[in-house]
Amino acid sequence: MKILLAEDEKQLSRVLIMAMKSVGYDVDPVFNGQEAVEHAQANAYDVMIFDIMMPVKTGLEALKEIRATGDRTYIIMLTAMAEIDDKVTGLDAGADDYLTKPFSLKELLARLRSLERRTEEYDSDVLSFGDLKVDQAEQRLASHNSMSLSGKETRLLTYFILNADKELSTQQLLNQAWDRDENADAEDVWIYISYLRQKLQAVGSSTIIDGQKGGPYQLSQPA
Amino acid sequence: MEIYGPCADNLPLILNDVLDRIKQLSSAQVASGHPKLYEHLIGRVKANDSMTEKCQRKGYPATPESALRKCRDAVGIRVVCNFIDDVYRCIDLLRDADWCTIVKEKDYIANAKPNGYRSYHLILDAVTPYQDIDGQTPGHYFVEIQLRTIAMDSWASLEHEMKYKHDIENPERIGKELRRCADQLAACDVQMQTIRQLIHEND
Repeated sequence: MKILLAEDEKQLSRVLIMAMKSVGYDVDPVFNGQEAVEHAQANAYDVMIFDIMMPVKTGLEALKEIRATGDRTYIIMLTAMAEIDDKVTGLDAGADDYLTKPFSLKELLARLRSLERRTEEYDSDVLSFGDLKVDQAEQRLASHNSMSLSGKETRLLTYFILNADKELSTQQLLNQAWDRDENADAEDVWIYISYLRQKLQAVGSSTIIDGQKGGPYQLSQPA
Repeated sequence: MEIYGPCADNLPLILNDVLDRIKQLSSAQVASGHPKLYEHLIGRVKANDSMTEKCQRKGYPATPESALRKCRDAVGIRVVCNFIDDVYRCIDLLRDADWCTIVKEKDYIANAKPNGYRSYHLILDAVTPYQDIDGQTPGHYFVEIQLRTIAMDSWASLEHEMKYKHDIENPERIGKELRRCADQLAACDVQMQTIRQLIHEND
């Protein structure tokens, strides 16, 4: 992973760089908020770690500026005080996580590992359920035959597989696969359920999505 | 050398008769308020040299018996439909027809070939007014029918083009892309099919 570290205390910065490089991460150190903004604009990072109290621009200001450009990179704030308000302000300003100083290196590295798992293992997985395989990266459904899935169909089917044999309401499916600004309703969900049912049939899977129009729906594999 | 022997002149007649039968099936569907069966209907009699080459390739003697009995695609028809449902509707009607029997079928729509090819193949044993190679009248002739959607048909043309072009720089990569494309077209076919069913949900 490529990491941007913005920390003005030279001593702490050195220790963090050593620790992160020792486990194979690629670290760019900067020492104030302005440099952080410039680096974030010039390079692609997997994670950014910002101290809050920094010269020229605070970590919070840098965070807001970077988010305003549409950058969605995972950002961890280092808060000096165990101030609840600091944490809340940081999270509301667009941070993904925070660590309170003093923190242990072990914990920081564990968090980075957990993030790597989330981005690599959970998202690009081939999910299996009974005679069914869904390749999320390829957006492809395979059983006896194979067929492409749209982005939404992939999100829906993934959610169904991760929650197989559970009743899922129309509202839960809407929250999962539709963005809030799409103004989607139960009718849209029904159409997509219909697409998925036909596709499951077309690839020759015995998996079925149970449920009437309006929901709830349930993915299952007949015994 | 005429591989079809005394039956050669009958083949174009049989082709036309079967094409007419299929046209009638579609007209009857429309007359009873259903959508037409197909969008395109084409047919051909396999050329002499192709049939001779096929017999040799398969190790059969180059005789009319081989060409008309061992090979079963001397007369070939392709039915290109708008929707997957239409393909199966057409097959059902052929199954019920009294002028032919289905002797073999391969559903490459439900079981696509590894390269991504999709179609439904039938071999019909058609009863005709002409004498056949065994000397019977009415005579029995095999007719191969391929049924597919427009999307499958376009894909098959593209794949055919690739098969006969031997100087492609990276055939594996192109093959992989063709496969992916077949999956996307199949997805569109299923989607159109579903939309059509949603339109008629409350009929």
